Amino acid sequence: MKKLMTHIVAGYPNLETSEKLLKLMSENGVDFVEIQIPFSDPVADGPTIMQANQKSLEAGTKVEDCFELMIKAVKSPGETKFLFMTYFNILHHYGVEKFCKKAAACGCYGLIVPDMPIDEEPQEKYLENCKKYGLKAVQVISPLTPERRLKMIEKVADGLVYCVSKFGTTGQTSELNPKLSSYLKKVKKYIKVPLAVGFGISTREHVDAVHKEADIAVIGSKIINILNQGGIKEVEKFIRSLK
Amino acid sequence: MKSLKKYLLNPDGHFGKFGGRYVPELLIPIMEELEESFFQAKKDPSFKKELLNLYHNYSGRPTPLYFCENLTKEIGGAKIYLKNEGLNHTGAHKINHCLGQALLAKRMGKKRLIAETGAGQHGLATATVAAKFGLKCRVYMGARDVERQRPNVFWMEQLGAEVIPVKEGGQILRDAINAALRDLISNPEDTHYLLGTVCGPNPYPVMNTYFQKIVGEEVKKQLGGLPDYLVACVGGGSNAMGLFYDFLDDKKVQMLAVEAGGKGIKKENGKFTHAARFQAGEVGVVEGFKSVFLQNKEGQIEETYSISAGLDYSGVGPQLAYLQDIGRVKFTYAVDDEVIAAYKLLARTEGIFAALESSHAIAGAIKLAKTLPKNKTIVMNCSGRGDKDLFIVTKKLGDENFANFLKSQV
Repeated sequence: MKKLMTHIVAGYPNLETSEKLLKLMSENGVDFVEIQIPFSDPVADGPTIMQANQKSLEAGTKVEDCFELMIKAVKSPGETKFLFMTYFNILHHYGVEKFCKKAAACGCYGLIVPDMPIDEEPQEKYLENCKKYGLKAVQVISPLTPERRLKMIEKVADGLVYCVSKFGTTGQTSELNPKLSSYLKKVKKYIKVPLAVGFGISTREHVDAVHKEADIAVIGSKIINILNQGGIKEVEKFIRSLK
Repeated sequence: MKSLKKYLLNPDGHFGKFGGRYVPELLIPIMEELEESFFQAKKDPSFKKELLNLYHNYSGRPTPLYFCENLTKEIGGAKIYLKNEGLNHTGAHKINHCLGQALLAKRMGKKRLIAETGAGQHGLATATVAAKFGLKCRVYMGARDVERQRPNVFWMEQLGAEVIPVKEGGQILRDAINAALRDLISNPEDTHYLLGTVCGPNPYPVMNTYFQKIVGEEVKKQLGGLPDYLVACVGGGSNAMGLFYDFLDDKKVQMLAVEAGGKGIKKENGKFTHAARFQAGEVGVVEGFKSVFLQNKEGQIEETYSISAGLDYSGVGPQLAYLQDIGRVKFTYAVDDEVIAAYKLLARTEGIFAALESSHAIAGAIKLAKTLPKNKTIVMNCSGRGDKDLFIVTKKLGDENFANFLKSQV
């Protein structure tokens, strides 16, 4: 099954638009949606998403607003699974256990927290709490991840694993990483859960190319760019063109 | 009792609950490689020898430990000594870890150095070692800092570095760090990120403390005994760790760290008017490490304020957060007006211009000296010299002649 994952920054440009975007994504059969809780220092994100984070915070988006958004999103009629993506300080400040409990209660499928590597688990009990409350703790892998770490990650992989397609931060590029195929082959030797491939995926051609190698193609920055240029209608058109 | 000195250089990079390596997976292998290279180099006598040679013959170490006789008399309390790191090549202690990291980058076969900078001192030192070692160099600097530290930008460019003004966020040091991390994530193979303080993911705090500890080692020799107090300013904490480190296991020596009190410990229009993390901060995880950060109720990192760009930072080195937590280092702060007064007093009594960052330490030491008897000894770290602050100080003091001079030059 070839699947699609899309992304929004909660509260960008406002919560009402976020709600509409989540609804249309679900209605148009998107399989997974990342709802990014905005953070002041989003180190893994490129300019487009970074700016959306900043604008959302300036507009006053709170963590509680993101939980509200999740509650509304999961009521959509489709089969879409909704995840929270954010940075670890948001969880740490809220309380890791309290956050996981609340996210699960809102109907969240899983969490993507790029700056919470497995190495810090003894201090933070992040995986432990995700498990306790039935959230998938989505692990992230990069082209530099050595096989030694792939083995460690396989042990905790749950739901899906997010493979960063290239060096760099999120954002559009015209071409895919030419070594994508051999990279994903290496990953698949160890990781048995479905793979999602993201970073720099921006066209139907990219999505098709990813689907030759992996289950899930992830589109993030491109959607924000379309939203900025053409509004919600154009986003809907674009998502339809991908299915 | 365990050795604090040993503990604060542990390869794991955790210091109590602080420190660690909270970075995206892409950076993990890069940090592992750096850690491995650093600990190998640390054991290699030829590396140490080369570094010491650079300290001595390139930077001009050892820097003097100077007895401030006039200042001591004026204050009428404890004896005040000044470790003059401002006499280093490039004008501040930053050159210490820049030389160390540049040597390491060479060893690792890296072709390009990137750095963040606040006041411009670390950027200048990075551009300097890049020129010396024949490495490409790009320095990220908050756009607001570029404006207030134009002279350093000019010097960096003269040294062949590319200075990129960072326009995101508050356009200060924190934003420059984020931009440098993004660059490293995009260019992990040929680039070394020469992080300029004892913050960031493991191994940076350990590594920079190691390269800075020469400061305290020299003080110990120069003083020929132990001081009663050490005083240093703290932005990220590199000069403080440099001065404090070698004395950590000498229980008799008390340590005072001075943060930027700005316009006072408060918030105005929802914004901090200072950068004193231990007055108003909370534990958090940002930019790859766990420490104390100035943040809001939502866990968003907030902008800070200080008259000195080098202390204008919302986080602090994890080793210092640990030392504060266990009570080994006491933290205080100095507000802008006290800092300017200390800057002027040191200049008038001793003929030394301290950087505005370092003037926080001077202010802290002066306050402390007043409360102590004459037989006590204080060593304060003058981490940098004040030339770079010409424009800020003339403005703050309202020097009309200087303003007229500037106009006449345009």
